[in-house]
Amino acid sequence: MNENKETNTQTNDAQDDNEERALSVFSSERNEDMTALILCLITTFMVLLFTKWLV
Amino acid sequence: MPRMKDNMPTIIMGMFLIVYGLIVKTEGLLPVMKYLNTHKSMDLQVTLCLVLGGLALVGALISSSKKPGDSLFDHFFLQPLGGVVMIMVIAMAIRWYLEPLVMIMSGSLEPVLGFGVYKVLNLNYVVLGILAGVVLTNSYGIPEFAVPGVKCARFVLKMGVIMLGARYSFAELAKLGVYSVWLIGFFVLGTVFLVLWMGNLFKQPKTMTGVLAAGMGVCGVSATVAVAPVVKAKSTEMAYTIGTILTFGIICMFIFPTVGKLAGMNAVQFGAWAGTGILNSAQVAAAALAFNAVDIKTLKVAEIFNITRVLFLPIIVLVLATWFGKESGHKLTFKTVVVDKFPLFIVGFLILFAMSSMGIFSPPSHYKGKFIDVSYNDRTQVTPEEWETLNRAAGEGAFAALNPEQKAAVDDLIHQRQIAGNYDERSDRTKFDRVGRARMTQLESVLSQAKANTLTLSAEVTGAIKHAVKQVHKSSKTVVTLTDFMIWFFAFGLIGLGMQITKKSITQAGGWPIVMGVIAGTTKATLSFFVVLWLVKDVVLN
Repeated sequence: MNENKETNTQTNDAQDDNEERALSVFSSERNEDMTALILCLITTFMVLLFTKWLV
Repeated sequence: MPRMKDNMPTIIMGMFLIVYGLIVKTEGLLPVMKYLNTHKSMDLQVTLCLVLGGLALVGALISSSKKPGDSLFDHFFLQPLGGVVMIMVIAMAIRWYLEPLVMIMSGSLEPVLGFGVYKVLNLNYVVLGILAGVVLTNSYGIPEFAVPGVKCARFVLKMGVIMLGARYSFAELAKLGVYSVWLIGFFVLGTVFLVLWMGNLFKQPKTMTGVLAAGMGVCGVSATVAVAPVVKAKSTEMAYTIGTILTFGIICMFIFPTVGKLAGMNAVQFGAWAGTGILNSAQVAAAALAFNAVDIKTLKVAEIFNITRVLFLPIIVLVLATWFGKESGHKLTFKTVVVDKFPLFIVGFLILFAMSSMGIFSPPSHYKGKFIDVSYNDRTQVTPEEWETLNRAAGEGAFAALNPEQKAAVDDLIHQRQIAGNYDERSDRTKFDRVGRARMTQLESVLSQAKANTLTLSAEVTGAIKHAVKQVHKSSKTVVTLTDFMIWFFAFGLIGLGMQITKKSITQAGGWPIVMGVIAGTTKATLSFFVVLWLVKDVVLN
């Protein structure tokens, strides 16, 4: 009985996960975070270059 | 071009952006922009419109000439392009037209209503963005071409949170006394646990409870976005939390100044209370100014208490990751919580915060990119006419009513023609800075007294002192530009987030999150009121 309950919860969790992933262009949270991080670091570098280092 | 019809909306938007950019470039809209006070962003408007318009046209033409594929270029550029451009057009309309218009209307209604609608309802780009998204999705619906673009919203919001780190510096935290940090930490964690407990009591979904706990405990939008992936909160739950926090803040903005005055709080006590009890930073500033518009100490203390909460963000993420893991029945080790569950983009926030604290963007003591520089510099001096005015006023005895410290600061301003430390001590940087800052504080107090009419000075004299004070307040171009990026990321993300909120999802969430938010907020406000009255006397800043 308990085992069934656990399997149901896991299925629901997986379904919720899939529904939320469907709301993103990325296949996983890790990819999304990593891309955001890399893009932000590039942006920061460019901003530093044009507002501080090259002026 | 067989798929031209599918890409028509993107082509039209691209052409519109290019035409708009060219009109702005030829100064055709300058009178309107001056009226809206957006003319300073003219260069940005031109660049953004031409670049985005160009990308939209090129992307739409490539899309029209080839079959849809599964490549990275298709998945991350061609498919989301239409939606991204659409959200950006809405964001531009809000930032450059709707928000300034609301500000102007609010200003003209203020004499009639007695309060500024813009400030009170906090109708800035955050609220307007979410509202625009909600209205569009629940009226016309999201157009099919824009669906993949809307899916970028959360990703872009995360970029906004990372950029937020650049605005703060560890030096701000060091300004607070040790027990002030304890006080803030106690209330942040206390509120988080209170909301978690209530969520359990009212049997609310743990995703909603988790995200509401972070939003109520730390500081609204950024905390909500930061914690959402940790507790797997849905977009609706994020938006619901932001709505609850802003609504509660509006109530607080009215009540706090009145209660503070009735309780006879001093400027520092009220600043500490507002900074602890109210969540949104704009609302904190509005309440502080409503309590005391003259003494800048209130606003300063309130802001520092408010921003220090942001620095608890990583700790809250860890606490909620542990709680969520345990609630979901997973066995958690230290490594699971700190390494596996800790969102990478919060690491990004910490990296930018560390860079900011190390002084890579501007001097480490900056606050939101602004810093005080009392070093010798031609550009820091008052004009010869202003110096003449001050010198004449001193000769006529206009400064006789000042206290000795204020008088000494004015005398030194006349002597050195700028706010600075002592010339002989210029090799000792720390001492030189300390003396210069103390003089600036004295001059600021002269201006406050003149504003409150407790001191009579001519407009020319106050103008000259005001200019001298303004000259030592510098701002870092790097942090200002990074903040601009953050604002655009948040505007984009929140519009997209609003678009994921349907009537159905709001009905599903019910009214419990608001009830929990109000109970937690009221408890925090009441408790912090007594604690501040009891513990905070006059000095909370080092």
